[in-house]
Amino acid sequence: MASQENGTSASADWPGRYHHIDQVLNTPGPRTDPGFLAGDGVKDFLRNQAKILVIGAGGLGCEILANLALTGFKDIHVIDMDTIDISNLNRQFLFRQKDVGYPKATVAAEFIMKRVPGVKVTPYFGKIQDKDDEYYMQFNLVICGLDSVEARRWMNATLVNLVDPENPDSLKPMIDGGTEGFKGQARVILPTITSCYECSLDMFNKPTAFPICTIANTPRLPEHCIEWASVLEWPRVHGEKKMDTDDPEHIGWLYKIASARAAEFNIEGVTWSLTQGVVKNIIPAIASTNAVIAAACCNEAFKIATSSAAFLDNYFMLIGTDGVYSYTFTHKKRDDCPVCGGEALEMTISPEMTVEELIETLTEKQDIQIKKPSLSTSAPTKQIYLQAPPQLEKATRPNLEKKVKEFVQEGGEITVTASTLPFNLSLRISYSTPA
Amino acid sequence: MASQDVETVTTALATEAAPDAKTRRYDRQLRLWAASGQNALESSRILVISGSATSTSILKNLVLPGIGHFTIIDPNQVTPEDAGNNFFLEGPSSIGKSRAEEAVRLLLELNDGVDGKADVRSLEHVLENSKEWLSEFTIVIAHNLEAALLEQLASLLWADESYTPLVVVRSAGFLAEVYIQYHEHAVIESHPETPQSLHIDKAFPSLLEYSTSLDFENMDVTDHGHVPYVVILVRVLEDWKKTHNGSPPLSYEEKQEFKKAIFAMRKKSDEENFDEAVAQAYRAWAKTSVPSDISALFEDEKVRSLSPTSPPFFHLLHALQRFATEQPSHALPLTSALPDMKASTESYIHLQTLYKAHAEEEKAIFKSYLQVPVEDDIVDAFVKNSHALRLQKGKKWGTLDADPASLAAALETAPKALAIHLALTVLSSYVAKQPADVPLSPTAEALTAEALTLLPPGTELPDEFDEALGEVVRAPTADLPNTAALLGGIVAQEVIKMITKQYIPINGSCLIDLIETWTGIL
Ligand SMILES: [Zn+2]
Repeated sequence: MASQENGTSASADWPGRYHHIDQVLNTPGPRTDPGFLAGDGVKDFLRNQAKILVIGAGGLGCEILANLALTGFKDIHVIDMDTIDISNLNRQFLFRQKDVGYPKATVAAEFIMKRVPGVKVTPYFGKIQDKDDEYYMQFNLVICGLDSVEARRWMNATLVNLVDPENPDSLKPMIDGGTEGFKGQARVILPTITSCYECSLDMFNKPTAFPICTIANTPRLPEHCIEWASVLEWPRVHGEKKMDTDDPEHIGWLYKIASARAAEFNIEGVTWSLTQGVVKNIIPAIASTNAVIAAACCNEAFKIATSSAAFLDNYFMLIGTDGVYSYTFTHKKRDDCPVCGGEALEMTISPEMTVEELIETLTEKQDIQIKKPSLSTSAPTKQIYLQAPPQLEKATRPNLEKKVKEFVQEGGEITVTASTLPFNLSLRISYSTPA
Repeated sequence: MASQDVETVTTALATEAAPDAKTRRYDRQLRLWAASGQNALESSRILVISGSATSTSILKNLVLPGIGHFTIIDPNQVTPEDAGNNFFLEGPSSIGKSRAEEAVRLLLELNDGVDGKADVRSLEHVLENSKEWLSEFTIVIAHNLEAALLEQLASLLWADESYTPLVVVRSAGFLAEVYIQYHEHAVIESHPETPQSLHIDKAFPSLLEYSTSLDFENMDVTDHGHVPYVVILVRVLEDWKKTHNGSPPLSYEEKQEFKKAIFAMRKKSDEENFDEAVAQAYRAWAKTSVPSDISALFEDEKVRSLSPTSPPFFHLLHALQRFATEQPSHALPLTSALPDMKASTESYIHLQTLYKAHAEEEKAIFKSYLQVPVEDDIVDAFVKNSHALRLQKGKKWGTLDADPASLAAALETAPKALAIHLALTVLSSYVAKQPADVPLSPTAEALTAEALTLLPPGTELPDEFDEALGEVVRAPTADLPNTAALLGGIVAQEVIKMITKQYIPINGSCLIDLIETWTGIL
């Protein structure tokens, strides 16, 4: 495509449209890389060639889409599997009351196209896992505005796996943002080159889980009573019927049962709001923090796409509760990262540990956090325990009670897989000497 | 009990109905600032000077959480340039229309509960003819306001302590600054990360009595494994003091010995409550006293010269000082917040009841020291947060730039932050000197010369200054969408903290560099 005057070709552009942005695209700054080619070439790439993928059209996603559109990206794709809820409206500013119940991706895309002329936003209402490598290969950049650790891990691993050293285009920078209340972070991941999402898994707290014995026998907090209602009483009373945490009747039932439990034990503080917060694991979210983090992410996308300034290396953390505190640093790559490191993760366990106990440890360990892992050995190949399919689960179930050392020798490796993650984790097992 | 019976019996206990639409809409933010914060927001009136991209980004993040009212004052028409970078304009179709009216119309779509108004007067006109109008607002925000006008506005709003706080926002390209001008800002609900002391080293009588009454040795094994660690620590400390002249463990060796004494009480090796007691043992020797930040507040002039008309915050501080001085604990009042710990329901609830009862007693004493009536909710919040109260003292906008010695000192201690501030300052003084309608093309030489006039003679400007200056020279009038969006978030966050009087706003300037994705405070 021939580049026209101003580096733009879309008829929707009007003179002066990019007056603000062009100031940093026409001239380098003191810290701009000498490789920056100011002028039409970079504008043409940004406005006519760059193709960018946004994961999530929620709190961060709405902001990201608006920023990208205003900075001149014209070919934007967005994936989101959710529909709009009334509790989104305090921050997800592309949605209105009338949109409640409709897919976020579609409504957001339509709004952006209506508000910012000449921008094409292609929505996909579904899961990131529905798409294959070929789909992800078409983009220059990926920005994630997700609230799920699981989805981020999947996206991260997919982009790392996509890297083909022979093909420079296969390296897709991933910019990831996340917020919680007044806190947030934005980071740039160059798959296989910089620290990846998995490398930093231990930095993120898992939601508090209460031990079942506390919930069942020694409740002390209102949260314990709520967990009792949702984890134990719901299945006991309703059997197979699934609990829907978005259904006010279900929340109402849990609130009632939890209140009764609390009264029985003289525990104060069960409220509707707390009940909902506990069962849905609600994270506080506000427009302002999302705006900061989304802007930081989009600014990195803009700098990467244009080279108009150096991009973030590689982590920006913000805490807004006491003044404005932020910390910018280089997060280090982990050699034993199961996604980008290539080295097996060393793990020392007791020679008495059973397979079941190992599985529990893997689920809880901060730097691993694997839900429902399946275990096998590779040399020789032997299944230790498989979560699915049902026949194999049944066949391997007796192994749960056996000791790990019956399957792996000192220094041997166990391969851990989980259906939610597109990668294998290798564990090199050592046994502690009994005390 | 069959489930039907459970439901019949319990309906009476769960008294709250399902939340209404408004509560559901604001659920995710109510978890941060509660109904009290929300009420404050809904009563607020915000004035924003200019309908720039940055201004509308700020307002977006204030309209969404539900401020009461906003006004945009801006006499200008939408230019093609505005239509390109402002999300709250409708592209070319807004060109030529009033920028304030277009922005207000589109911002109001975000929230039915918010009232908004476009004012097409110029600020000069207001300052000349009806400056008292400014007092209608809770807070005033100005983005890239021309230097002389900003100085006039800042001086006006600084003239009396009761006047409206002013948020000064400046940006050019990848650089930005946010400053809040206020005389004083008191925060009760600062939402501290650290909880109040459990007073283990100064156990109140009922706690001490309970703890020493327990017969650990002859206790049932199950009960023994469920004694809360607080009770264990109080007991071990009490026993310890008897053999150590009334002192808690002080040296490293003593502390290790103290931990051994806890372990020695175990009946089984896997008693988690004793593990917790060892992990929390520092609470036995960490002295519960008035934190120095708090005792410093007692010295505030307004506490020392308290009068019946002093604001409640100072009456509360005065009562707190009396409490800390006259009560035998010489500490802040106890709060009833007990963290979760390994314990049986009965022992935990019993302990919680002891804490609550004593906390109520101390609160009653605290209240008796108050010389004026203060609402119960405020007293409760004050006592609960008495270890984390904040009283920030601000300065007038421009104070720093008027003091060469301070500028030079900041150049040493915070070169990057000061460089950005200085670059934006000299840019705005340059702009003020240029005739309107002429495209700006400042040079680094001219701006550097301007900067040197603000600094003591012979000051050497660091590399950071050249880096910052190069950016403002490169993009002197650029209101970049990403910079605007980031400022929109930061400024709205600070304004929310100011209005709700919850969490802690900046004191001074926040400088932003979006090349290195860096922020700093000056
Ligand atoms: Zn990695």
